[in-house]
Amino acid sequence: MSPPVETHYGVLGLGPRASFEQIERAYRHAAGLYEGDALATYSLLDDEERQAARARVEEAYAILKDPLRRFEYDRQLGLDSETAPSYAPPAAAASPATARAAAVALPEPVTGADLKRFRESRGIALREIATASKVGVRYFEYIEADRRDVLPAPVYLRGFLQEYARVVGLDPRRTAESYLARLATAR
Amino acid sequence: MSGALALPLPQPRRQVWSIGGGKGGIGKSLLAASLGWYLARLGKRVVLVDADLGGANLHTCLGVPGPARTLGDFIQRRVARIEDVVVDTPFPRLQLISGASDVLGAANIKYQQKVRVLNRVRALDVDVVLLDLGAGTSNNILDFFLVADVSLLAVVPEPTSIENGYRFIKSALYRRLRMAAPTAAVREVIDGALDLKNSGGIRSPLELLAAVERQDPGAVAALRRELAEFHPRFVVNQVRSPADIAVGHQLVTACARHLGIRASYAGAVHYDDAVWRAVRQRRLFAAQDPDSPAAQEVRQIARGLVEGESMALVW
Repeated sequence: MSPPVETHYGVLGLGPRASFEQIERAYRHAAGLYEGDALATYSLLDDEERQAARARVEEAYAILKDPLRRFEYDRQLGLDSETAPSYAPPAAAASPATARAAAVALPEPVTGADLKRFRESRGIALREIATASKVGVRYFEYIEADRRDVLPAPVYLRGFLQEYARVVGLDPRRTAESYLARLATAR
Repeated sequence: MSGALALPLPQPRRQVWSIGGGKGGIGKSLLAASLGWYLARLGKRVVLVDADLGGANLHTCLGVPGPARTLGDFIQRRVARIEDVVVDTPFPRLQLISGASDVLGAANIKYQQKVRVLNRVRALDVDVVLLDLGAGTSNNILDFFLVADVSLLAVVPEPTSIENGYRFIKSALYRRLRMAAPTAAVREVIDGALDLKNSGGIRSPLELLAAVERQDPGAVAALRRELAEFHPRFVVNQVRSPADIAVGHQLVTACARHLGIRASYAGAVHYDDAVWRAVRQRRLFAAQDPDSPAAQEVRQIARGLVEGESMALVW
Protein backbone atom coordinates (compact mmCIF):
# COMPACT_ATOMS: atom_id res chain seq x y z
CA MET A 1 0.00 0.00 0.00
CA SER A 2 1.31 3.43 -0.87
CA PRO A 3 1.63 5.89 1.97
CA PRO A 4 -1.06 8.56 1.56
CA VAL A 5 1.35 11.49 1.41
CA GLU A 6 3.49 10.13 -1.39
CA THR A 7 4.30 12.73 -4.04
CA HIS A 8 3.86 12.20 -7.75
CA TYR A 9 7.64 12.00 -7.96
CA GLY A 10 7.72 9.29 -5.32
CA VAL A 11 5.07 7.28 -7.14
CA LEU A 12 7.27 7.14 -10.22
CA GLY A 13 10.48 6.67 -8.25
CA LEU A 14 11.85 10.01 -9.40
CA GLY A 15 13.60 12.96 -7.82
CA PRO A 16 12.05 16.43 -8.10
CA ARG A 17 14.59 17.48 -10.73
CA ALA A 18 13.67 14.70 -13.12
CA SER A 19 13.89 15.59 -16.78
CA PHE A 20 11.06 15.04 -19.23
CA GLU A 21 12.83 11.96 -20.59
CA GLN A 22 13.34 10.54 -17.13
CA ILE A 23 9.65 10.97 -16.42
CA GLU A 24 8.78 9.14 -19.63
CA ARG A 25 11.05 6.21 -18.79
CA ALA A 26 9.92 5.96 -15.19
CA TYR A 27 6.31 6.08 -16.34
CA ARG A 28 6.82 3.26 -18.83
CA HIS A 29 8.44 1.13 -16.16
CA ALA A 30 5.67 1.82 -13.63
CA ALA A 31 2.86 1.40 -16.16
CA GLY A 32 4.35 -1.90 -17.33
CA LEU A 33 4.36 -3.09 -13.74
CA TYR A 34 0.56 -2.82 -13.53
CA GLU A 35 -0.47 -4.21 -16.88
CA GLY A 36 -2.96 -7.06 -16.60
CA ASP A 37 -0.46 -9.84 -17.24
CA ALA A 38 2.66 -8.29 -15.72
CA LEU A 39 4.69 -11.10 -14.17
CA ALA A 40 5.92 -9.02 -11.27
CA THR A 41 2.47 -8.10 -9.94
CA TYR A 42 -0.05 -10.64 -11.12
CA SER A 43 0.37 -12.87 -8.06
CA LEU A 44 1.09 -9.97 -5.74
CA LEU A 45 -1.94 -7.73 -6.26
CA ASP A 46 -5.59 -8.45 -6.89
CA ASP A 47 -7.41 -6.65 -9.69
CA GLU A 48 -8.63 -3.87 -7.47
CA GLU A 49 -5.18 -3.19 -6.03
CA ARG A 50 -3.61 -3.31 -9.44
CA GLN A 51 -6.11 -0.84 -10.87
CA ALA A 52 -5.63 1.48 -7.91
CA ALA A 53 -1.86 1.36 -8.32
CA ARG A 54 -2.15 1.93 -12.04
CA ALA A 55 -4.50 4.88 -11.51
CA ARG A 56 -2.03 6.43 -9.08
CA VAL A 57 0.75 6.10 -11.67
CA GLU A 58 -1.44 7.67 -14.37
CA GLU A 59 -2.37 10.52 -12.07
CA ALA A 60 1.28 11.23 -11.31
CA TYR A 61 2.25 11.03 -14.96
CA ALA A 62 -0.60 13.29 -16.09
CA ILE A 63 0.68 16.06 -13.83
CA LEU A 64 4.42 15.62 -14.33
CA LYS A 65 4.37 15.33 -18.12
CA ASP A 66 2.46 18.60 -18.46
CA PRO A 67 4.87 21.52 -17.97
CA LEU A 68 2.21 23.92 -16.66
CA ARG A 69 0.58 21.45 -14.30
CA ARG A 70 3.97 20.31 -13.07
CA PHE A 71 5.05 23.89 -12.45
CA GLU A 72 1.90 24.48 -10.41
CA TYR A 73 2.38 21.18 -8.54
CA ASP A 74 6.01 21.99 -7.70
CA ARG A 75 4.84 25.33 -6.34
CA GLN A 76 2.33 23.55 -4.09
CA LEU A 77 5.10 21.25 -2.87
CA GLY A 78 7.20 24.31 -2.12
CA LEU A 79 9.98 23.30 -4.48
CA ASP A 80 12.13 26.35 -5.01
CA SER A 81 12.45 27.63 -8.53
CA GLU A 82 16.26 27.72 -8.33
CA THR A 83 16.44 23.94 -8.23
CA ALA A 84 13.50 23.42 -10.52
CA PRO A 85 14.13 21.47 -13.69
CA SER A 86 13.71 22.60 -17.24
CA TYR A 87 10.15 21.80 -18.12
CA ALA A 88 10.63 21.72 -21.85
CA PRO A 89 10.25 18.29 -23.43
CA PRO A 90 13.17 17.19 -25.62
CA ALA A 91 12.72 16.61 -29.32
CA ALA A 92 13.77 12.95 -29.29
CA ALA A 93 11.59 10.18 -27.90
CA ALA A 94 12.77 8.28 -24.86
CA SER A 95 14.60 5.01 -25.41
CA PRO A 96 14.23 1.71 -23.51
CA ALA A 97 13.91 1.52 -19.77
CA THR A 98 17.53 0.79 -19.00
CA ALA A 99 18.84 3.67 -21.12
CA ARG A 100 19.76 6.85 -19.36
CA ALA A 101 18.77 10.50 -19.54
CA ALA A 102 20.38 13.77 -20.61
CA ALA A 103 23.04 13.36 -23.28
CA VAL A 104 26.05 15.28 -22.00
CA ALA A 105 29.55 15.45 -23.47
CA LEU A 106 32.81 14.86 -21.60
CA PRO A 107 35.83 17.17 -22.01
CA GLU A 108 37.85 16.14 -25.03
CA PRO A 109 39.74 14.06 -25.82
CA VAL A 110 37.72 11.33 -24.14
CA THR A 111 39.75 8.50 -22.62
CA GLY A 112 38.65 5.07 -21.44
CA ALA A 113 39.30 6.16 -17.87
CA ASP A 114 37.01 9.19 -18.35
CA LEU A 115 34.27 6.93 -19.60
CA LYS A 116 34.69 4.54 -16.71
CA ARG A 117 34.57 7.35 -14.13
CA PHE A 118 31.45 8.80 -15.70
CA ARG A 119 29.75 5.41 -15.90
CA GLU A 120 30.53 4.64 -12.28
CA SER A 121 29.27 8.04 -11.20
CA ARG A 122 25.95 7.07 -12.75
CA GLY A 123 25.89 3.74 -10.92
CA ILE A 124 25.71 1.76 -14.14
CA ALA A 125 27.29 -1.68 -14.43
CA LEU A 126 29.13 -2.67 -17.61
CA ARG A 127 26.88 -5.66 -17.98
CA GLU A 128 23.88 -3.35 -18.20
CA ILE A 129 25.45 -1.75 -21.24
CA ALA A 130 26.20 -5.19 -22.63
CA THR A 131 22.64 -6.30 -22.00
CA ALA A 132 21.12 -3.20 -23.56
CA SER A 133 23.39 -3.25 -26.60
CA LYS A 134 23.83 -7.02 -27.06
CA VAL A 135 27.57 -6.38 -27.34
CA GLY A 136 29.91 -8.61 -25.31
CA VAL A 137 30.89 -6.98 -22.05
CA ARG A 138 34.58 -7.51 -22.71
CA TYR A 139 34.53 -4.99 -25.54
CA PHE A 140 33.38 -2.34 -23.11
CA GLU A 141 36.11 -3.43 -20.73
CA TYR A 142 38.65 -2.97 -23.52
CA ILE A 143 37.23 0.47 -24.32
CA GLU A 144 37.51 1.60 -20.71
CA ALA A 145 41.02 0.16 -20.42
CA ASP A 146 42.11 1.71 -23.75
CA ARG A 147 43.27 -1.70 -24.88
CA ARG A 148 44.37 -0.71 -28.40
CA ASP A 149 45.84 -4.17 -28.92
CA VAL A 150 42.45 -5.85 -28.74
CA LEU A 151 39.97 -3.13 -29.67
CA PRO A 152 37.99 -3.93 -32.82
CA ALA A 153 38.33 -2.04 -36.09
CA PRO A 154 37.04 1.57 -35.98
CA VAL A 155 34.00 0.71 -38.03
CA TYR A 156 32.78 -1.59 -35.23
CA LEU A 157 34.30 0.39 -32.41
CA ARG A 158 32.28 3.46 -33.38
CA GLY A 159 29.05 1.52 -32.93
CA PHE A 160 30.17 0.09 -29.58
CA LEU A 161 31.17 3.54 -28.34
CA GLN A 162 27.84 4.98 -29.39
CA GLU A 163 25.96 2.19 -27.60
CA TYR A 164 28.05 2.75 -24.50
CA ALA A 165 27.47 6.49 -24.59
CA ARG A 166 23.75 6.09 -25.20
CA VAL A 167 23.27 3.84 -22.18
CA VAL A 168 25.33 5.89 -19.74
CA GLY A 169 23.75 9.14 -20.95
CA LEU A 170 26.58 10.71 -22.95
CA ASP A 171 26.23 12.25 -26.39
CA PRO A 172 26.79 9.17 -28.60
CA ARG A 173 28.18 10.92 -31.68
CA ARG A 174 30.56 13.28 -29.89
CA THR A 175 31.78 10.58 -27.53
CA ALA A 176 32.58 8.16 -30.34
CA GLU A 177 34.29 10.80 -32.46
CA SER A 178 36.43 12.11 -29.64
CA TYR A 179 37.52 8.64 -28.56
CA LEU A 180 38.29 7.50 -32.12
CA ALA A 181 40.17 10.72 -32.97
CA ARG A 182 42.37 10.24 -29.92
CA LEU A 183 43.14 6.65 -30.93
CA ALA A 184 43.94 7.74 -34.50
CA THR A 185 46.41 10.47 -33.46
CA ALA A 186 48.10 8.21 -30.94
CA ARG A 187 48.85 5.59 -33.53
CA MET B 1 22.01 -13.19 10.78
CA SER B 2 24.22 -10.28 11.75
CA GLY B 3 22.96 -6.72 11.64
CA ALA B 4 26.40 -5.35 10.90
CA LEU B 5 26.48 -7.12 7.56
CA ALA B 6 23.98 -4.71 6.05
CA LEU B 7 26.44 -1.82 6.46
CA PRO B 8 28.67 -0.84 3.56
CA LEU B 9 31.86 -1.80 5.38
CA PRO B 10 34.84 -3.57 3.85
CA GLN B 11 33.70 -7.11 3.16
CA PRO B 12 34.57 -9.61 5.85
CA ARG B 13 37.00 -12.29 4.80
CA ARG B 14 34.50 -15.04 5.20
CA GLN B 15 31.05 -14.81 3.71
CA VAL B 16 28.04 -17.05 3.46
CA TRP B 17 25.99 -16.79 0.29
CA SER B 18 22.74 -18.64 -0.24
CA ILE B 19 20.63 -19.30 -3.29
CA GLY B 20 16.96 -20.02 -2.78
CA GLY B 21 14.03 -19.90 -5.11
CA GLY B 22 10.99 -21.61 -3.73
CA LYS B 23 10.49 -23.62 -6.89
CA GLY B 24 12.42 -26.58 -8.25
CA GLY B 25 13.73 -26.89 -11.78
CA ILE B 26 14.70 -23.26 -12.28
CA GLY B 27 18.43 -23.86 -12.52
CA LYS B 28 19.32 -22.99 -8.95
CA SER B 29 21.96 -25.68 -8.54
CA LEU B 30 23.58 -24.79 -11.85
CA LEU B 31 23.68 -21.15 -10.83
CA ALA B 32 25.21 -22.09 -7.49
CA ALA B 33 27.81 -24.35 -9.10
CA SER B 34 28.83 -21.81 -11.73
CA LEU B 35 28.86 -18.87 -9.30
CA GLY B 36 31.09 -20.95 -7.05
CA TRP B 37 33.32 -21.78 -9.98
CA TYR B 38 33.75 -18.09 -10.88
CA LEU B 39 34.40 -17.08 -7.31
CA ALA B 40 37.15 -19.71 -7.21
CA ARG B 41 38.52 -18.34 -10.48
CA LEU B 42 38.59 -14.89 -8.89
CA GLY B 43 40.96 -16.37 -6.31
CA LYS B 44 38.45 -17.04 -3.53
CA ARG B 45 38.51 -20.29 -1.62
CA VAL B 46 34.98 -21.59 -1.97
CA VAL B 47 32.95 -24.39 -0.48
CA LEU B 48 29.68 -25.20 -2.20
CA VAL B 49 27.19 -26.73 0.18
CA ASP B 50 24.37 -28.76 -1.26
CA ALA B 51 21.72 -27.83 1.29
CA ASP B 52 19.01 -29.36 -0.85
CA LEU B 53 18.70 -32.10 1.72
CA GLY B 54 15.97 -33.97 -0.08
CA GLY B 55 17.16 -33.76 -3.68
CA ALA B 56 20.89 -33.24 -3.66
CA ASN B 57 22.48 -33.05 -7.11
CA LEU B 58 25.10 -30.34 -6.93
CA HIS B 59 27.87 -32.92 -7.41
CA THR B 60 26.38 -33.84 -10.80
CA CYS B 61 26.39 -30.17 -11.87
CA LEU B 62 30.12 -30.14 -11.11
CA GLY B 63 30.85 -33.42 -12.84
CA VAL B 64 31.81 -35.04 -9.54
CA PRO B 65 30.65 -38.61 -8.78
CA GLY B 66 28.36 -38.89 -5.76
CA PRO B 67 30.80 -38.44 -2.87
CA ALA B 68 31.13 -41.19 -0.27
CA ARG B 69 30.71 -38.66 2.54
CA THR B 70 27.86 -36.18 2.63
CA LEU B 71 26.31 -33.58 4.86
CA GLY B 72 24.09 -36.40 6.12
CA ASP B 73 27.10 -38.10 7.69
CA PHE B 74 27.82 -34.95 9.65
CA ILE B 75 24.18 -34.46 10.63
CA GLN B 76 23.96 -38.09 11.79
CA ARG B 77 27.33 -37.72 13.59
CA ARG B 78 28.94 -40.53 11.60
CA VAL B 79 31.85 -38.10 11.25
CA ALA B 80 32.97 -35.69 13.92
CA ARG B 81 33.87 -32.57 11.98
CA ILE B 82 32.21 -30.81 9.06
CA GLU B 83 35.64 -30.66 7.41
CA ASP B 84 35.43 -34.45 7.13
CA VAL B 85 32.65 -34.20 4.56
CA VAL B 86 34.33 -31.52 2.41
CA VAL B 87 35.54 -33.04 -0.85
CA ASP B 88 37.68 -31.60 -3.63
CA THR B 89 36.32 -30.91 -7.12
CA PRO B 90 38.30 -30.91 -10.38
CA PHE B 91 38.58 -27.13 -10.00
CA PRO B 92 41.24 -25.34 -7.94
CA ARG B 93 39.99 -23.66 -4.75
CA LEU B 94 36.49 -25.05 -5.24
CA GLN B 95 35.31 -27.68 -2.78
CA LEU B 96 32.00 -29.34 -2.17
CA ILE B 97 29.88 -30.58 0.67
CA SER B 98 27.44 -32.90 -0.97
CA GLY B 99 23.81 -33.12 0.06
CA ALA B 100 22.27 -35.74 2.22
CA SER B 101 20.08 -37.56 -0.25
CA ASP B 102 20.94 -40.82 1.51
CA VAL B 103 19.39 -39.80 4.81
CA LEU B 104 15.74 -40.58 4.98
CA GLY B 105 13.93 -37.51 6.23
CA ALA B 106 17.08 -35.40 6.22
CA ALA B 107 15.03 -32.53 4.89
CA ASN B 108 13.34 -32.49 8.27
CA ILE B 109 16.42 -32.32 10.44
CA LYS B 110 15.87 -31.26 14.01
CA TYR B 111 16.42 -27.73 15.21
CA GLN B 112 19.55 -28.56 17.19
CA GLN B 113 21.08 -30.37 14.23
CA LYS B 114 20.36 -27.42 12.01
CA VAL B 115 21.96 -24.95 14.40
CA ARG B 116 25.02 -27.19 14.57
CA VAL B 117 25.26 -27.34 10.77
CA LEU B 118 24.81 -23.58 10.40
CA ASN B 119 27.45 -22.80 13.02
CA ARG B 120 29.99 -25.21 11.59
CA VAL B 121 29.38 -24.08 8.03
CA ARG B 122 29.97 -20.50 9.04
CA ALA B 123 33.20 -21.46 10.76
CA LEU B 124 34.71 -23.22 7.72
CA ASP B 125 38.12 -21.79 6.89
CA VAL B 126 37.34 -20.49 3.39
CA ASP B 127 36.45 -17.16 1.78
CA VAL B 128 32.94 -17.95 0.61
CA VAL B 129 30.49 -20.65 1.62
CA LEU B 130 27.81 -20.95 -1.03
CA LEU B 131 24.61 -22.69 0.05
CA ASP B 132 22.41 -24.22 -2.62
CA LEU B 133 18.96 -24.46 -1.04
CA GLY B 134 16.22 -26.88 -1.88
CA ALA B 135 12.80 -26.03 -3.24
CA GLY B 136 9.95 -25.00 -0.99
CA THR B 137 9.62 -22.75 2.02
CA SER B 138 10.24 -25.10 4.93
CA ASN B 139 11.73 -23.52 8.03
CA ASN B 140 15.04 -25.28 7.47
CA ILE B 141 15.40 -23.78 4.03
CA LEU B 142 14.37 -20.33 5.24
CA ASP B 143 16.89 -20.47 8.07
CA PHE B 144 19.71 -21.36 5.69
CA PHE B 145 18.58 -18.44 3.51
CA LEU B 146 18.44 -16.01 6.42
CA VAL B 147 21.81 -16.96 7.88
CA ALA B 148 23.57 -15.77 4.71
CA ASP B 149 25.35 -12.48 4.20
CA VAL B 150 24.27 -12.50 0.56
CA SER B 151 20.83 -14.00 -0.03
CA LEU B 152 20.10 -14.68 -3.67
CA LEU B 153 16.67 -15.52 -4.96
CA ALA B 154 16.53 -17.28 -8.29
CA VAL B 155 13.43 -17.00 -10.44
CA VAL B 156 12.60 -17.70 -14.07
CA PRO B 157 10.30 -15.32 -15.96
CA GLU B 158 7.22 -17.51 -15.56
CA PRO B 159 4.14 -16.91 -13.41
CA THR B 160 4.61 -20.00 -11.23
CA SER B 161 8.21 -19.19 -10.43
CA ILE B 162 7.50 -15.53 -9.65
CA GLU B 163 4.57 -16.49 -7.44
CA ASN B 164 6.74 -18.97 -5.53
CA GLY B 165 9.50 -16.38 -5.36
CA TYR B 166 7.20 -13.91 -3.61
CA ARG B 167 5.97 -16.62 -1.29
CA PHE B 168 9.58 -17.46 -0.48
CA ILE B 169 10.49 -13.84 0.22
CA LYS B 170 7.47 -13.24 2.43
CA SER B 171 7.99 -16.50 4.31
CA ALA B 172 11.67 -15.71 4.89
CA LEU B 173 10.91 -12.19 6.06
CA TYR B 174 8.09 -13.27 8.37
CA ARG B 175 10.36 -15.89 9.89
CA ARG B 176 13.00 -13.25 10.48
CA LEU B 177 10.42 -10.90 12.01
CA ARG B 178 9.09 -13.70 14.17
CA MET B 179 12.55 -14.39 15.58
CA ALA B 180 12.86 -10.68 16.42
CA ALA B 181 9.37 -10.41 17.91
CA PRO B 182 9.68 -9.15 21.50
CA THR B 183 6.45 -10.66 22.84
CA ALA B 184 4.26 -13.70 22.37
CA ALA B 185 1.38 -11.46 21.30
CA VAL B 186 3.45 -10.01 18.45
CA ARG B 187 4.54 -13.50 17.43
CA GLU B 188 0.89 -14.42 17.27
CA VAL B 189 0.14 -11.54 14.88
CA ILE B 190 3.01 -12.68 12.66
CA ASP B 191 1.86 -16.29 12.74
CA GLY B 192 -1.58 -15.10 11.71
CA ALA B 193 -0.13 -13.22 8.76
CA LEU B 194 1.80 -16.31 7.63
CA ASP B 195 -1.49 -18.00 6.95
CA LEU B 196 -2.15 -16.51 3.53
CA LYS B 197 -5.90 -16.61 4.07
CA ASN B 198 -5.62 -15.01 7.48
CA SER B 199 -8.70 -13.50 9.02
CA GLY B 200 -6.94 -10.23 9.80
CA GLY B 201 -6.60 -9.60 6.07
CA ILE B 202 -2.84 -9.02 6.38
CA ARG B 203 -1.44 -9.37 2.89
CA SER B 204 1.93 -7.68 3.02
CA PRO B 205 4.75 -6.94 5.47
CA LEU B 206 3.65 -3.30 5.52
CA GLU B 207 0.17 -4.31 6.63
CA LEU B 208 1.71 -6.66 9.16
CA LEU B 209 3.75 -3.84 10.69
CA ALA B 210 0.62 -1.69 10.85
CA ALA B 211 -1.19 -4.53 12.64
CA VAL B 212 1.68 -4.95 15.11
CA GLU B 213 1.70 -1.22 15.72
CA ARG B 214 -2.00 -1.31 16.63
CA GLN B 215 -1.35 -4.21 18.99
CA ASP B 216 1.89 -3.05 20.58
CA PRO B 217 3.30 0.31 19.40
CA GLY B 218 6.53 -0.27 21.31
CA ALA B 219 7.30 -3.49 19.44
CA VAL B 220 7.19 -2.16 15.92
CA ALA B 221 10.58 -0.43 15.91
CA ALA B 222 12.45 -3.72 16.26
CA LEU B 223 10.47 -5.22 13.40
CA ARG B 224 11.06 -2.18 11.21
CA ARG B 225 14.80 -2.61 11.74
CA GLU B 226 14.57 -6.23 10.65
CA LEU B 227 12.59 -5.24 7.58
CA ALA B 228 15.16 -2.58 6.68
CA GLU B 229 17.99 -5.09 6.94
CA PHE B 230 16.29 -7.76 4.88
CA HIS B 231 17.87 -7.53 1.47
CA PRO B 232 17.19 -10.33 -1.02
CA ARG B 233 18.84 -10.15 -4.44
CA PHE B 234 17.06 -11.43 -7.50
CA VAL B 235 18.67 -13.47 -10.24
CA VAL B 236 16.39 -13.91 -13.24
CA ASN B 237 17.40 -17.14 -14.93
CA GLN B 238 16.57 -18.46 -18.41
CA VAL B 239 15.60 -15.09 -19.90
CA ARG B 240 14.86 -14.96 -23.62
CA SER B 241 14.02 -11.33 -24.29
CA PRO B 242 14.65 -7.79 -23.05
CA ALA B 243 11.19 -7.92 -21.47
CA ASP B 244 12.32 -10.95 -19.46
CA ILE B 245 15.39 -9.06 -18.28
CA ALA B 246 13.18 -6.14 -17.24
CA VAL B 247 11.21 -8.50 -14.98
CA GLY B 248 14.07 -8.25 -12.48
CA HIS B 249 13.70 -4.48 -12.30
CA GLN B 250 9.95 -4.82 -11.95
CA LEU B 251 10.34 -7.29 -9.09
CA VAL B 252 12.59 -4.85 -7.26
CA THR B 253 10.09 -2.01 -7.73
CA ALA B 254 7.13 -4.20 -6.75
CA CYS B 255 8.94 -5.38 -3.60
CA ALA B 256 9.69 -1.80 -2.59
CA ARG B 257 6.24 -0.38 -3.32
CA HIS B 258 3.97 -3.18 -2.24
CA LEU B 259 5.94 -5.17 0.31
CA GLY B 260 8.25 -2.52 1.76
CA ILE B 261 11.20 -4.82 1.00
CA ARG B 262 14.48 -3.39 -0.24
CA ALA B 263 15.47 -5.98 -2.81
CA SER B 264 18.04 -5.61 -5.57
CA TYR B 265 18.73 -7.14 -8.95
CA ALA B 266 21.94 -9.14 -9.16
CA GLY B 267 21.47 -9.90 -12.86
CA ALA B 268 19.87 -12.01 -15.54
CA VAL B 269 21.13 -15.16 -17.26
CA HIS B 270 19.98 -16.02 -20.77
CA TYR B 271 18.47 -19.31 -21.70
CA ASP B 272 21.40 -20.98 -23.40
CA ASP B 273 21.74 -24.29 -25.21
CA ALA B 274 25.33 -24.49 -23.99
CA VAL B 275 23.92 -25.08 -20.50
CA TRP B 276 21.90 -28.17 -21.26
CA ARG B 277 24.59 -29.53 -23.55
CA ALA B 278 27.00 -29.37 -20.63
CA VAL B 279 24.44 -30.79 -18.20
CA ARG B 280 23.90 -33.82 -20.40
CA GLN B 281 27.63 -34.45 -20.37
CA ARG B 282 27.64 -33.90 -16.61
CA ARG B 283 30.01 -31.00 -17.03
CA LEU B 284 29.83 -27.52 -15.58
CA PHE B 285 28.77 -25.21 -18.42
CA ALA B 286 30.74 -22.27 -17.09
CA ALA B 287 33.95 -24.33 -17.30
CA GLN B 288 32.98 -26.20 -20.45
CA ASP B 289 31.95 -23.17 -22.48
CA PRO B 290 33.13 -20.00 -20.71
CA ASP B 291 32.39 -17.80 -23.72
CA SER B 292 28.73 -18.79 -23.89
CA PRO B 293 26.33 -15.93 -23.08
CA ALA B 294 25.02 -17.64 -19.95
CA ALA B 295 28.54 -18.27 -18.64
CA GLN B 296 29.50 -14.64 -19.22
CA GLU B 297 26.39 -13.41 -17.48
CA VAL B 298 27.03 -15.62 -14.46
CA ARG B 299 30.56 -14.24 -14.39
CA GLN B 300 29.20 -10.69 -14.35
CA ILE B 301 26.83 -11.57 -11.52
CA ALA B 302 29.65 -13.12 -9.49
CA ARG B 303 31.86 -10.10 -10.01
CA GLY B 304 29.02 -7.70 -9.32
CA LEU B 305 28.25 -9.43 -6.02
CA VAL B 306 31.90 -9.44 -4.98
CA GLU B 307 32.22 -5.75 -5.83
CA GLY B 308 28.86 -4.82 -4.33
CA GLU B 309 27.31 -3.81 -7.64
CA SER B 310 23.77 -4.47 -8.75
CA MET B 311 21.63 -3.66 -11.77
CA ALA B 312 20.29 -0.40 -10.39
CA LEU B 313 17.59 1.28 -12.40
CA VAL B 314 18.67 4.91 -12.81
CA TRP B 315 16.36 7.01 -14.91
